[in-house]
Amino acid sequence: MSHGTLLLVALLLPFIGSLAAGFLPTHARNTAAILAGSVAVAGIGISVWLYTSLADGAPVQFWLSWLPMLGLDFTLRLDGLAWLFALLIFGIGALVVLYARYYMSREDPVPRFFSFLLAFMGSMVGIVLSGNLIQLVFFWELTSLFSFLLIGYWHHTASARDGARMALTVTGTGGLCLLVGVLLIGRIVGSYDIDQVLESRDLIIQSDLYVPALVLILLGAFTKSAQFPFHFWLPHAMTAPTPVSAYLHSATMVKAGIFLLMRLWPVMSGTDAWFYLVVPAGLVTLLLGAFIAIFQQDLKGLLAYSTISHLGLITLLLGLGSPLAAVAAIFHTLNHAIFKASLFMAAGIIDHETGTRDLRKLSGLYRYMPITATLAMVAAAAMAGVPLVNGFISKEMFFAEAVAEHTGSLLDDSLPYWATLAGVFSVTYSLRFILGVFFGPPPVNLPHRPHEPAHWMRFPIELLVLICLLIGIVPSLTVGPLLATAVKGLLDATPPYYSLALWHGFNLPLMMSLIAMAGGVVLYLGLRRYLESGIEGPPILRDFKGQRIFEKVLATLSWQWARAGEATLGTRRLQPQMRIVITLAVVAALAPFIANGAVGTGDMPGTPLPPGFALLWLVGGICALGAAYQAKYHRFAALVLVGGAGLVTCVTFAWLSAPDLAVTQLLVEIVTTVLLLLGLRWLPKRIENVYPSRPPLKVLLRRYIDLTIACALGGLMAFLAYCLMTRPLTQSVSRFFVERAYSEGGGTNIINVILVDFRGFDTMGEIVVLCLAGLTVFALLRRFRPAPESIEQPEQQRIQHAYDVATPDRSPGDTVADYMLIPRLIMHWLFPVIAVMAVYLFMRGHDLPGGGFAAGITLSIAFVVQYMASGTRWVEDHLRVLPLRWMGMGLLTSCATGMGSWWFGYPFLTSHFQYVELPYIGKVPAASALVFDLGVFALVVGATVLILIALAHQSLRSSRAAQASEGGE
Amino acid sequence: MTPALDHLAILPIVLPLAVGALMLLFDERRRRLKMTLSLATVFALLAIAVTMVVMVGLPSSDRWSTLIVYPLGNWPPPFGIVLVVDRLAALMLLMTAVLGCTTLLFALARWHTAGPRFHTLFLLLLTGLNGAFLTGDLFNLFVFFEILLAASYGLVLHGSGTARVRAGLHYIPINLVASSLFLVGVAVIYGVTGTLNMADLSRIVPTLPPESRTLMEAGAAVLGIAFLVKAGMWPLSFWLPTTYAAACAPVAAMFAIMTKVGIYVILRLFLLCFGDEAGASEDFGAAWLYYGGMATLLFGGIGVLASQSMQRLGGYSVLISSGTLLAAIGTGNSAVISGALYYLVASTFAISAYFLLVELIERGQAAGADVLAVTLEIFGDPEEDIEDEDEEVGVAIPATIAVLGGGFVACTAVLAGLPPLSGFIGKFAMLSALLNEAGEIPFYHWLFVALLMLSGLATLIAMTRNGIRTLWVPAETDIPRVRAIEAIPVGVLLLLCAVMTFAGGPTMRYMEATAQILYWPSEYARDVLGSQPAGHSTSDSRSSGHGPSGPNPTGATP
Repeated sequence: MSHGTLLLVALLLPFIGSLAAGFLPTHARNTAAILAGSVAVAGIGISVWLYTSLADGAPVQFWLSWLPMLGLDFTLRLDGLAWLFALLIFGIGALVVLYARYYMSREDPVPRFFSFLLAFMGSMVGIVLSGNLIQLVFFWELTSLFSFLLIGYWHHTASARDGARMALTVTGTGGLCLLVGVLLIGRIVGSYDIDQVLESRDLIIQSDLYVPALVLILLGAFTKSAQFPFHFWLPHAMTAPTPVSAYLHSATMVKAGIFLLMRLWPVMSGTDAWFYLVVPAGLVTLLLGAFIAIFQQDLKGLLAYSTISHLGLITLLLGLGSPLAAVAAIFHTLNHAIFKASLFMAAGIIDHETGTRDLRKLSGLYRYMPITATLAMVAAAAMAGVPLVNGFISKEMFFAEAVAEHTGSLLDDSLPYWATLAGVFSVTYSLRFILGVFFGPPPVNLPHRPHEPAHWMRFPIELLVLICLLIGIVPSLTVGPLLATAVKGLLDATPPYYSLALWHGFNLPLMMSLIAMAGGVVLYLGLRRYLESGIEGPPILRDFKGQRIFEKVLATLSWQWARAGEATLGTRRLQPQMRIVITLAVVAALAPFIANGAVGTGDMPGTPLPPGFALLWLVGGICALGAAYQAKYHRFAALVLVGGAGLVTCVTFAWLSAPDLAVTQLLVEIVTTVLLLLGLRWLPKRIENVYPSRPPLKVLLRRYIDLTIACALGGLMAFLAYCLMTRPLTQSVSRFFVERAYSEGGGTNIINVILVDFRGFDTMGEIVVLCLAGLTVFALLRRFRPAPESIEQPEQQRIQHAYDVATPDRSPGDTVADYMLIPRLIMHWLFPVIAVMAVYLFMRGHDLPGGGFAAGITLSIAFVVQYMASGTRWVEDHLRVLPLRWMGMGLLTSCATGMGSWWFGYPFLTSHFQYVELPYIGKVPAASALVFDLGVFALVVGATVLILIALAHQSLRSSRAAQASEGGE
Repeated sequence: MTPALDHLAILPIVLPLAVGALMLLFDERRRRLKMTLSLATVFALLAIAVTMVVMVGLPSSDRWSTLIVYPLGNWPPPFGIVLVVDRLAALMLLMTAVLGCTTLLFALARWHTAGPRFHTLFLLLLTGLNGAFLTGDLFNLFVFFEILLAASYGLVLHGSGTARVRAGLHYIPINLVASSLFLVGVAVIYGVTGTLNMADLSRIVPTLPPESRTLMEAGAAVLGIAFLVKAGMWPLSFWLPTTYAAACAPVAAMFAIMTKVGIYVILRLFLLCFGDEAGASEDFGAAWLYYGGMATLLFGGIGVLASQSMQRLGGYSVLISSGTLLAAIGTGNSAVISGALYYLVASTFAISAYFLLVELIERGQAAGADVLAVTLEIFGDPEEDIEDEDEEVGVAIPATIAVLGGGFVACTAVLAGLPPLSGFIGKFAMLSALLNEAGEIPFYHWLFVALLMLSGLATLIAMTRNGIRTLWVPAETDIPRVRAIEAIPVGVLLLLCAVMTFAGGPTMRYMEATAQILYWPSEYARDVLGSQPAGHSTSDSRSSGHGPSGPNPTGATP
């Protein structure tokens, strides 16, 4: 297997393991642990194996084409730096898995835990192995996602949920910034490939986009690595199970930000912008974290703030921009990962064996768990920077760098003091950790009686502490080569000279160390009383709770402001939405006229206006205005007036030589008016006297605005129509239709030929719409129950009813039956007449005004008339209409006609026309379009009747409802 | 070529239409028969769509684009109606077919019996969608818009209930107004240009004299408003979240593509009529699309945060998706558009999966639990502080919840633009194209980038808030009973999002070619108008055929 492929295996193994663990049974604790452990060990194996290949300096690469058009290929790249991080991730990972096996309770559904842990491990490996910045961000966001799941693992507790959500929100936001930052780098360099980016230092720092890119990338790194002011999420992530904390906050999650800073260090550092952005952030984090750590009462809280502080230290080192500082940063990253992991595990053991992590309850544990205590003491010494442990050496390097001159600014000059102060703090909190937990009087009231943990649970700490000591005592023999490899990966060219010795003679850094240690002891003694008072958090600062502020800001922004914004920018009501749509339509239509400054009216001479026509339109206009005026409160009147306007339209069509339109318009007008009238009955009644006196000004204003909008729209339509009608006819496709209607379509009625042949497809679509309208009305009304106030009988019926009851020899309903007798009879007789009329309209359709649609409407009028005359019950007793069958058959007929042309090798709906020789009758024109039209006819009848039935059945229901309500009274 | 392939272009319209009509003849009680028929239809549609994508997407030797032109009634364009299958149309058809299969499967578990004639309405909706994507004729587009809208009216009401009727009574009038505007726009455009054929239109627009151009632009603007109502641009979109939240799960999931019809038409007509070759009308309305899209993005982001119910949140995610796409079209950059096409597919699938998922999750809960959930998550639960914090043993998650939770995380990832699913790639593709434009990055691009990021963040915050409360907080709710055929559609949709990530190369290549062809309207026009009616069955009805002119029999049989 090539080295590149090995990289792929190292990356994929954790994900495969994660998937496998996810499918294990709930309590398969050992299997899951073994699975996770083997993955991590395999990762270590691969890392070790690849170490030799890094010797010649060239990174190991793996390449797979992914999205070449976007400059994004799947690239893995292992150089010294990535190698060191990969080793840490797998190494600490393996130990954490072992530890977790013993830490997690037997009842805990751990396979899920290990599944998330492995996925997280894979994502981390993805970050460090990415050979491409976008791919790095890809895995970066994945770590946010999986750390969210890990922190929220015990999601039945509120603090775990809050901690997880906060971590995801903060690091996710940072990730988005990072993405944009990286995209900017891509724009500057012209590639996202890390090799290319690393070669383009000059290009990057001279670019105009350098500062925006830097700020965005730093936002990503700082949120991830918990740098001030984004540090607050980290302590709350401590609600995760301790193995998670040990993993996320020592070697992985928070180190991702550090890794990114290191990755881009060669090309982005060394500028003023970098120095003044990174150093202050690191410095404040260093001091603040250390200071707050002193005052923590929760063991893990103390370690969390100490982590923040150490991350600040590393950031500060990277911010300095000198190669030696970068070396120190790498070294300290490694050291911190080792001692912090062991400390977290020790804290976990204490928690596990005593049942508490509260420093106020813990004391004198040394006599119960001497081995653990010894191990913790060594690790804490490393944290404090005591000689002979690894923390000391990197801290010495830090002090040396703090003393060294970088920019010569005030900030740079004051660094030694700040560094010593931070050293003092770290000694203090380390002392507190050790003295508070292991020494002093025996503990009282602990939940469990403390004892040493299972040996294998302690083993990871033993190993890590051993490494601490080895590095601390013989650094150049142990960590020297590893560090050299990593430094070569980071600095590429010539690594600076550095010495990994324990003893450098009496120099300034050593003095600073001594001061820090002495100062730390003094500070601890001085603060003892305050700390013993049991107050959580440092004075003054404890009132500033990052989490509280964050939650409050988030709630304000993401909830209160968002609610207000939604209400301001939007509406849930229909009327304002309508107003906006129409206003915008008017504005949009007028905009081109204003922008282009040209009015599109033509100069065709107008036709003289005959007085009759003018009168007709006057009537129509009055009808339309009246309908609008009456629409709100007098629906019946409005409907009648709409009918009037429709009729005028109808006559206009006839007048302007469009008989087809006139016929269709007339028929449609009749049917829709009747159907609307039927529906009118069920609309809610007018609420009288909403405003006792005059309507308020606001309402009046709204009405006038509505009037204005309506007038504007009407005016616009008139204007557009005028523009179009005064222009000469364009060379349009209609000429083609006129020429070919008879010659190729076989009909002399061009409109009908267009409808069933040239654009028969449109007609087919329209009948589908009609069909759907029928079905929808049916669906809407099927469950509809009339409102209580609509149930009572109309006034006329009530009077008649009362009269029938009052008169001795009459029964209710007689009067209606009597006075409807003649009309009913006529209407019954009309049925066959209208039906024949429909057939006539249908047959002549292809050559003269008429056609399937008109015929269908006509036939449905016949049905409407029957319902009107005799009521629903009578009609349905005597006439069996199955509208759905009609509709189905109609649609199928049209479709089948269209498909028929496939048989002859023509496209859908190709028509055929010929004269058929019928016996006795002679030559009869027959077009396939006629069959198509038959489908239209059937569907129109079916859909109209379906709507009619749906409406008619309301009255049945209402009388039933009325009876029910009467019966109930 | 076989006859079936000859008539392939019409099948996505005729097949669901005929089956839908056929089902009107059967009684409602014959459920099994209807289920079988519907399922067979949607899977056939899927097969057809795949075939089309292969046919138009395969690079051929001499031409880099292949169009299928299908003249209805054998009338030559621009006189008759034509169907045109190009890469974009094929892509949209494929998406429709996938959504059709998944949502129908989901509906078959229980929803299809919740109201009358579900199958017919559903299949006719597919007819309308497919027709709108296929047609090359402006008025025919109107007809198919009407079909899909009429079907959607019925589907919104499916399942009844006050909320649905109320939402329906908003949805229907708004869309009726939009349809009227559509008609006005088409009329004006026809009046000026004398054609309804889109390809023909693209040829005529550059040649219009100034006064005609103004009128034509006015018509296009009115038409644009109609499409933007459909696409959900702010401030024309207030009806949308309410409607989507009220519709039953499979309907809402299918509606995920309804806004995309508006987007599709805008993309097509905008680039055909006002693209680089449009002369004086070039880029007409681009700024409106760009800023309108960004306003929509902002409003969607705010709305997502302000949503209490999970369905409403889904409705606002639709707006975010629309806003992103409109703004991307407004940039007029083909690389941005190819990213946007990728994003379009990913976000549609994710939103659809989300609507299905939410219904499953909420099944176990009391009505309105999610409404309370958000406020509890934001302001804290007073009862919660008493909760035993020392309980450091994890809670075993039932398999159902685990599956639903996994699905929810995946949906969140796609919609918020987080890896590993396709949402990240889509956003990356758009951003990368946007930021790599030559010259200095203008202010409004920065604005778009910022809004894109912020809307992703808003989605992330809102969805985790909702998800944590619903899935993580221990509560006395029943574990929802979920059947496999309900979980599978969600899984398939999310799996497709994953496939789009891993097979990012081929997918993106398709999108890129699609976007490039869209920028070449003259090519499109030549192909469409150059096609001649078929002589007889053996001749190829595709663009290459130059057979004899239509032998429509005149008078008597030949």
